[in-house]
Amino acid sequence: MDNSKVIGVGAEARLSLINLFGSDIVVKERLPKKYRAKELDLRIRKERTKNEARIMFRISRAGIRCPRIVALGRFSIYMERLEGVLLKDKKISNKEIAESGRILGSMHSLDIVHGDFTPANLISDNSGKIYVIDFGLAEMTRSEEEKAVDLLLMKRYLKRNLYRLFEDSYSKTYNDSEKILRRLVEVEKRGRYQTRTLA
Amino acid sequence: MIVLGMESSAHTFGVGIVDNGKVLANEKAMYRIGTAGMIPGEVARFHAENAAEVLGMALEKAGISNNEIEGIGYTMGPGLGPCLEVAQLSAKTVAKKLGVPIVPVNHCAAHAEIARHFGRLADPIMLYVSGGNSQILVLEERPYLHYVVLGETFDIGVGNMLDSFARKLKLEPAWGSSIEKHSQGGRYIELPYTVKGMDFSFTGLATRATELIGEERLSDLCFSIQETAFSALCEATERAMLLKNKREIGICGGVAQNRKLREMLEEVGREHDAKFGFAPDEFNADNGGMVAYLAERMIGSGIKSRLEDCGIRQKYRVDTARLG
Repeated sequence: MDNSKVIGVGAEARLSLINLFGSDIVVKERLPKKYRAKELDLRIRKERTKNEARIMFRISRAGIRCPRIVALGRFSIYMERLEGVLLKDKKISNKEIAESGRILGSMHSLDIVHGDFTPANLISDNSGKIYVIDFGLAEMTRSEEEKAVDLLLMKRYLKRNLYRLFEDSYSKTYNDSEKILRRLVEVEKRGRYQTRTLA
Repeated sequence: MIVLGMESSAHTFGVGIVDNGKVLANEKAMYRIGTAGMIPGEVARFHAENAAEVLGMALEKAGISNNEIEGIGYTMGPGLGPCLEVAQLSAKTVAKKLGVPIVPVNHCAAHAEIARHFGRLADPIMLYVSGGNSQILVLEERPYLHYVVLGETFDIGVGNMLDSFARKLKLEPAWGSSIEKHSQGGRYIELPYTVKGMDFSFTGLATRATELIGEERLSDLCFSIQETAFSALCEATERAMLLKNKREIGICGGVAQNRKLREMLEEVGREHDAKFGFAPDEFNADNGGMVAYLAERMIGSGIKSRLEDCGIRQKYRVDTARLG
C-alpha cells in the first residue's frame, strides 16, 4: 500500500501504519524467513498469526484492553492504533501498576500467558487506562511455570515496592495466584534464572 | 606468554599451546563413540592412557620444551565427572612441577571465545551448539567480563538429539554429520517446532520423528528433523540479536561444524546486515587450544587460582565464569 509507513521491525514481524478510510491502522505482518524451508515458514507464520488473533479476541471479550482487530490476513493482523505512552517510557504510577497486575491476573484466570509481559508491552492512554500489546509469544496454557515466568519478568523490571503492588493486585484478581507465587519462588531458585541476573 | 591448555570434558582429550593469542599447537585424541554412546569411566581411562602422548605431541608441534611454559589452563566443567578429572589432574601435576600459575576454564566460554577470535567478532550474539549444550550467549562487562545466557534448550542439546536419532536409524552417529549426509534430496514433512522467545526445546521433535521411522522416507526424516531443529536455533538467535541490538553473529561448539546450520545462520545475518563468523572445525570440536587461548587471557588479566581450589564442576554454568 502506498500510504503505509513502517513503524517497527521485530524478529518475526513488521509493524506498519496505514490509513484506511480516515483512521490509522497498525498492520502486523509476519515476514517470510529465507533461512528456513518454505513449508515450515508458511506453517509458522500462519499458525502464529492465527494464534495471536485468537488470543486477542479472547481477552478483549473478557474485558481486558488490547488493540481492537479490524481485519485479519493470512500473515497479517490489522488493528486500531492506540494513543498513549508505553509504561517503560514514563514514571509508572501506583494506579497504573495495580491495573497492570489486575490485567495479568485476569489473563491467567483465562489460562492465557502473555510470554513477554513487561512495561515495554503495556500502554497507558491519556485517561490512565492500561492496554496490553504484542501477543506474539502468548499462549493458551494452564502451565504454572509459564504463568510464573510472566510474573518474573515484571519482578525483574520493577523496583521492589512497585512490584509488591503489582503482585497484590494480581493475587486479588486471580484465584489460583498462590500456586503461581509458590512456583515463582522455585523458578527463581533455579540456576538459570538466578545466574542470568548476575549482571 | 606461553600457556598450555588441557581439555577432557567428554570424548576428546586435547592439549593446546598458545603464545600471545596465537595457537602454536592443538593436538587431540578422540574416543570412538560407536553405537553405545559414552560410558564415562571407560572414556576417562582412554584419556588417562593418551594424556602423556598428546601432551608430548603438542610440545613437539609447538617446538617448545617444558620449561618454556608460563601458565596452565584446564577445563573445570561442564562435562562428565570422570573425564574432567583427567585434564584436571594432569594440569595440576604439570603446574606444580613447573611452578607456574594455573587457572580453571569454563568449557563453553572457551568455545565461544575461540570462535570470537577466529571469526574476528567484537561483540556478537553467540550460538553455542554441541552434544550436551545449546545456548545463546552474549558478553557482558559488568561486574566483570562474562557471558550471559539469553536463551537455551529446555531439555537436550541439539547434537545429542541428532545423534540419538541417527542411532535409532542405525546410522553412524557422528555429531549430526550422518543426518546431514542423509538429508540430501529430502522433502519437508511436518514435525513439532518449539521456540519460546529465545528458548527452545528438542524432545518433542525427537519423539515425533522417531515415531515416523519406517513410515516416512529416510531422507525426508533426516532433512526435516535437521531443518526444524536448526530453524528453531536460527529464530532464537535472530530474536536475541534484535533484542540486544547487536550487529554480529557467531557460532561455536561441535555442531558448528555442520555446514547447513552455518548457511542458515549466515542467511539470518544477511537479512539484518550482520557479520557472521566462526572458528575452523578443529576448534569447534572439543580441543585444548581454546582452553589455552582463554587461560592465557585470564592469567593476563590477573585472575589467580590456588592449586588447592582447582577442582572440577560437572555443571559449571557459563554465566558464572569470570573471563577477565
